[in-house]
Amino acid sequence: MSEKGGTVNKLFAAGAMTLAVALALSACSSGTPSGGQSSAPASGGKQKVSFLVFPSPNLPESYWKAQVDLVTKANPDLEVELVAAPSESERNDYAKQLAASGQLPDVQIGMQDLIALEPSLATWTPGELKDFLCPTCGAVNGKVLQLPTNTQTIPNVYYSKKLFQKAGIAEPPKTYADLLADAEKLKATGITPFVSGGVFVTSQPWTAILATDLYAKTPDWMTKRRNGEVKFATDPAMKAATQKFTDLAAKGYLDKRQIGQDYPKTQEAFLGGKGAMYPMGSWFAAAADASDMKDDIGVFAWPGDDGSLHMPTFTGGGLSVSATAKNMAAAKKFALAFQLTKANLDASVKADALFPAIKGYTPPPDTGPVFKAVYDLWQKAQNEKATVPAFSWEAGDTAMLPGMQGKFWSTAQDLVSGKKTVDQALAFLDTEWEKSG
Amino acid sequence: MAAGTTIHHHKSGHAQARARRRRSGGKRAGLWHFLSFAAPGTLIYFCLVVLPITLSFGYSLTDQALLRPKTHFVGLRNYELLLRDDTFLQSLRVTTILTLIVVIVPNVLGVAIAVLLDRRGWLYNALRSVFFTPMVISSVVISVIWTRILADDGPINQALRALGVSEPPGWLSDPDIALYSLSSIVCWQMLGFCVVVYLAGLQGVPQELAEAAAIDGAGPVRRFWSVTWPLLAPALTINTVVLLISAFKIFDHVKVITNGGPGTGTTASVALVILNEGFVENRTGYASAEAVVMLIVIALLCVITLRVLQRREVQL
Repeated sequence: MSEKGGTVNKLFAAGAMTLAVALALSACSSGTPSGGQSSAPASGGKQKVSFLVFPSPNLPESYWKAQVDLVTKANPDLEVELVAAPSESERNDYAKQLAASGQLPDVQIGMQDLIALEPSLATWTPGELKDFLCPTCGAVNGKVLQLPTNTQTIPNVYYSKKLFQKAGIAEPPKTYADLLADAEKLKATGITPFVSGGVFVTSQPWTAILATDLYAKTPDWMTKRRNGEVKFATDPAMKAATQKFTDLAAKGYLDKRQIGQDYPKTQEAFLGGKGAMYPMGSWFAAAADASDMKDDIGVFAWPGDDGSLHMPTFTGGGLSVSATAKNMAAAKKFALAFQLTKANLDASVKADALFPAIKGYTPPPDTGPVFKAVYDLWQKAQNEKATVPAFSWEAGDTAMLPGMQGKFWSTAQDLVSGKKTVDQALAFLDTEWEKSG
Repeated sequence: MAAGTTIHHHKSGHAQARARRRRSGGKRAGLWHFLSFAAPGTLIYFCLVVLPITLSFGYSLTDQALLRPKTHFVGLRNYELLLRDDTFLQSLRVTTILTLIVVIVPNVLGVAIAVLLDRRGWLYNALRSVFFTPMVISSVVISVIWTRILADDGPINQALRALGVSEPPGWLSDPDIALYSLSSIVCWQMLGFCVVVYLAGLQGVPQELAEAAAIDGAGPVRRFWSVTWPLLAPALTINTVVLLISAFKIFDHVKVITNGGPGTGTTASVALVILNEGFVENRTGYASAEAVVMLIVIALLCVITLRVLQRREVQL
């Protein structure tokens, strides 16, 4: 009995050991990702494609579902699974984490850190890019990794006509001196001149000043910085522009208390009349047109010292495809269909105020007054050849190094809060740049 | 006789051999039993703890970037850079301040509240539950709620404005205040844990010791410091070590409430910086070096704390 029992015990122990080893080995091995790379044939002969999107105030989940439905109705062989990034501002970090762990969805939209993501993304061929106005925009090492679908102007200055009137301002400023004078009048009336907040919103006036004062004279500044020909801390134009931005906060035109609020709250603050001017990208026009105060909102380009127009512009932001998508053909088919379907483009114009950079495309006639004003401003800048890159929003080979965009944005907060001087802030950016390199 | 003796010896030899076999079989069976129970946990621990730590140390000696195919051995270069990296050094400063606050405040308040709640009755039972509730709520939920409460237009500042404070503090937007706001939220959440551990400690204090001290003329304060507090030493050790580890590796509160801001690194903890270096800036080797340093710092702090506090512990 005892020997039999011993044998049973041994068998039990051996079985338990085997199970434990199997469990432990399975814990050690990397599992199949659940979120990405699902381009396997789905049921009913459909090709399944996973699609990384980002929710934002302008683009809720319902928008993405409706947009995808438009494509899948026209392409019934495609089945699309949406993967939502945690937020608009974290979409790039999220994508990098997914890529690093082998889970990057087949298709992504609006990736900004294309340099870091380069090994993970498929290249678009000239034939696939034939319908795009700027087919090589955002290329990395000569390779186009993202469909250059949209143009955005970053920032425009949205203003409340009512608050301008209240401060006795008859028309938008034409020069930088006018802008400062208007800000002073608003402040004297008890109105916060500029609505600010969050991480990237705080940096918008800095991006605007760098457009008129730096990029207007040196449009290849970022390329020079990448080549080590200029530095943040030692470039006089960079230093002067940064000083101008810092002065806006020092004079109380930017409310440093607002830097802790997030992007949706900041947008709400402007729409709620908590400030007269809101330097923000062209996409804000969609929210402005959807608001009750759309007829009260005007738009002007951030003025330079001499009043000449320099519109910060970015073209890119479209869909990219994972280099490891199991069904590359289906992923690319979906991406191109998503970007070239007229109904989709019209919806993106209305929901996010995008300017589709597609040959022959014209926006629908029923857009709102703010969109029309922003679009006209961009058209004017194009006609006058007055577009310049938008600092910190550049893409591909002309972009900042990976991770630097966030550092630039948070440095703007340091300048507004007074935590760093101009010299300290620019030296910090140089140090971080060297680390990133 | 001789033959009998031989037979006896022979029999005895067999019996001994059987006994030896039984013993050795018993030892083997015991070993199998030991392995069958210990192996699963050991293997899982090895895979989920020992192996990642070993791999992290290995990665810390390279320039590994997860999104870059090639990795090179760089020796101790990452550790040299860490000593000059303002971002990392700032995160160490931030984490140290936060840890000090989170270790001291819940311990002090925890023991005071535990003494007040160390009574019988439904009200005290209900209050114990109230104090412990934040501990069982997700840190993310807590963080989102407090972000709303501490917003510039949140209920606290609205109340302050209603009371006539025209410029209430920017709890999360002022770089000089944000770290203390963040620490307060963590203290608030951890307080319940400290209270429960101290209450358990108080219930282990023999009543007769306090009564004897009272007969000797000791007042309530004297009784607490001379009788109760020394006997709460094990509870203090547990609370301090748990708070120390929790605070030093804090991530979720920081990520949700401030994401390290406002500005550059004002509230960035070491864990947040490690994640950013590894996954945002794509420098896994460097982030691994930071993680190894963090591990060493936590281990050293825990060993020192345990040594110091365990000396205070008394045996009844």
